[in-house]
Amino acid sequence: MPWRRMAWVTWRQHRFALAGIVAVFGAAATYLMVTGLPMRAAYAAVAGCSPSSSDICRQAATEFLSNYAPGVGYTLGLLQAFPALVGAFAGAPLLAREFETGTFRYAWTQGFGRTRWTLGKLAPLAFMVTVVAIAFSGVVSWYLQPIVDAGDNNGPLYPTVFDLTGIALAAWTLTAFAIGLLAGTLVRRVVPAMFAALALWAGLAFVTGAFLRPHYQAPVVTTNPNIPIGAWVINQGWFKDGNPASLDTINRILTPVDVRAITPDLFQPGPSTPANLGDPVQYLIQHGLMLLTTYQPADRFWTFQWIESGWLLALSLVLFVVTVWLVRRRAA
Amino acid sequence: MTIDQPSRLGSKPSQPGSPVAFRLDAASGLPTYMQLVQQVEHALRLGYLKPGDQLPKVRDVVGSLAVNPNTVLKAYHHLETKGLVEGLPGQGTFIRATLSRVPLAELTELRRSLLAWLVTADAAGLDQDGMVALVTSAMHEFREHRGAASGERKGVA
Amino acid sequence: MNVVETSGLGKRYGSAWALRECSLTIPAGHVVALVGPNGAGKTTLLNLVVGLAAPSAGIVTVLDGQLAGSPAALDGIAFVAQDMPLYKNLSAADMVHMTRNLNRRFDDSYAKARLAEVGIALERKAGKMSGGQQAQLALTLALARRPNLLVLDEPMAMLDPLARHDFMASVMAAVAEDGVSVILSSHVLTELERVADYLVLVSHGSIQAAGAVEDLLAGHRLLTGPASEIDTLAGRLNIVHAQRGEAQAHVLVRTDARTDSVPPGWEAHPVTLEELSLAYLREPGAAWLPGPARSRAAHSMEMAN
Repeated sequence: MPWRRMAWVTWRQHRFALAGIVAVFGAAATYLMVTGLPMRAAYAAVAGCSPSSSDICRQAATEFLSNYAPGVGYTLGLLQAFPALVGAFAGAPLLAREFETGTFRYAWTQGFGRTRWTLGKLAPLAFMVTVVAIAFSGVVSWYLQPIVDAGDNNGPLYPTVFDLTGIALAAWTLTAFAIGLLAGTLVRRVVPAMFAALALWAGLAFVTGAFLRPHYQAPVVTTNPNIPIGAWVINQGWFKDGNPASLDTINRILTPVDVRAITPDLFQPGPSTPANLGDPVQYLIQHGLMLLTTYQPADRFWTFQWIESGWLLALSLVLFVVTVWLVRRRAA
Repeated sequence: MTIDQPSRLGSKPSQPGSPVAFRLDAASGLPTYMQLVQQVEHALRLGYLKPGDQLPKVRDVVGSLAVNPNTVLKAYHHLETKGLVEGLPGQGTFIRATLSRVPLAELTELRRSLLAWLVTADAAGLDQDGMVALVTSAMHEFREHRGAASGERKGVA
Repeated sequence: MNVVETSGLGKRYGSAWALRECSLTIPAGHVVALVGPNGAGKTTLLNLVVGLAAPSAGIVTVLDGQLAGSPAALDGIAFVAQDMPLYKNLSAADMVHMTRNLNRRFDDSYAKARLAEVGIALERKAGKMSGGQQAQLALTLALARRPNLLVLDEPMAMLDPLARHDFMASVMAAVAEDGVSVILSSHVLTELERVADYLVLVSHGSIQAAGAVEDLLAGHRLLTGPASEIDTLAGRLNIVHAQRGEAQAHVLVRTDARTDSVPPGWEAHPVTLEELSLAYLREPGAAWLPGPARSRAAHSMEMAN
């Protein structure tokens, strides 16, 4: 009975925050649906093209990707903020506002006690943001389906895709909430806590994508220039006799066929380039260079999802425990 | 400042159920409980209170004067010791006896002779403080002489 | 029963002690005035009593031995902090509902009746109320919990005179009706003189005086007499504070006003609580604490001057 009464307290105090989360999710989901439906319709034409290995059909797929992939990429970039915003706006003010306005002096002297009061707010909101995030990642996956099927270079493990799909989005949102909550308890002012939460989350997300996720499992290293579709390329470089080959070295080898390498994977043919040259990459390999690619295959998606969500969940729980510990310790 | 509930001055008694209401004089040198005792005795003298009348409930006094309830209880207890009131548990505190009342005609006559004395004293060159001092010392002498005979008598302030 | 018992209680913030060596035994059934200048440690002491702060030294128990801040203590003590914390966007009815939900004991009908009595509409948002109304709402929520002890931290600091009177009248009425013990702090003594029957004087983080007002006043006298005789007087009586003119002096002494005789050559006057408090506050070394006589004697030696 007392917990049900506490639930009313949480609802009454935070119903606008809860409504806000649902509203933001709803707006974003609506946007994805509105842009996703035409994209699906366009892809239907590509999917229906037969035989799929013919040049015409491949051309159609490439055209589809070049039409829609940039927009999708941009959208995914914007959506990265989703968990961070939830964390900042739902997590940070929860306790920070009580400190800022002094209402904790009321709340913590009621019979219910400060520990249970904190848990009574933390649990429902954590649950709520997680559920909303799970639902949203479903919408994202639905939205991305055509692009993925058309064979986009950015596979499911690609940073901006990975953390919005599967269960990773829910884990990142919960973590953002936990970071926000702890920031609010430490900083004790709403706006600074929000900024702190955003900064910390962004830092964690960057470090994870750049340094942690590439190594959840030992990446595949290959000299085969043909990388499986959807693989997440972590590193790719040219080597000559076991040493990294500089751009100059590459260009020297390419001089006879009048191709210029602007970057190690971008080649510009010149006026005297032979018409039957084919892929410059093959040419370089035939002339003594080795292309070493480090990548994570697409079929490791779910393994990585579980690993990442697992440690994020553990981190969130630790942050919650620290928050409650601080609440118990905090003096007026 | 908004007022949610307007009230008309004096339309509701602040210490209901009793003919009298207490007030406090912050400038008076007397302790609060003594002020209340004196107000009861004064009201008895002037006829506002008669035997059987109820004194204001402690809760009501305290609610309108913002004083410690113990102060009111102390005053009522003091009056009880003097035999002027009696407390009935669960009902309240009621007047038990009167102070001997001087009839109005006699009061008027006494007042007139007092005023005459004051005029004389003033003519003799005594200022107000001098008059008060004279009266106080005479009162002292008077008390000593009759106090030796009988203890405190009701009706003598 | 003792509503508050502390032993060697101290609280430190960083390297500064806000309160130290505080030993008190406050009996139930009183209206306790906690008085002292700003920064003396009043709020710190109250925070320790209601469990908002944890001691850095010593212990504090409430309501006959419950640890301050424990569930039993939280149940029996209602606290109104200095700025009357309320959730500004909640209505009075919401605040009542919330307080009801957060406590085991709550008299809902009393709360609503009280709010009607003081003229606060239930739908009005707390943030839209006047200072006086907010104070009355906060007080109502506290009293409706039917606490054994009501703790108020500078409740009148932000109220106009009428609101102050109404607030104190409400508190006194609750004391009369329910027998709740009250501890209230203020740096203005005059507003507490009529309501308090127990005084705790705090200055610079330590307790200077603690006791029933009756005992305090009966235990002191204000003597007026020749300034030249002060030293002789000091030989006979414990002097708390002396105010000298060229020829005349007023001396506050510790004595049993009920039994001790007035020294020849000196005139005795009863002391007011305000005079007594000011005298002690002006003499940081002076103390009047019910307890072993040695604590008074030790200080009186410093005072004999």
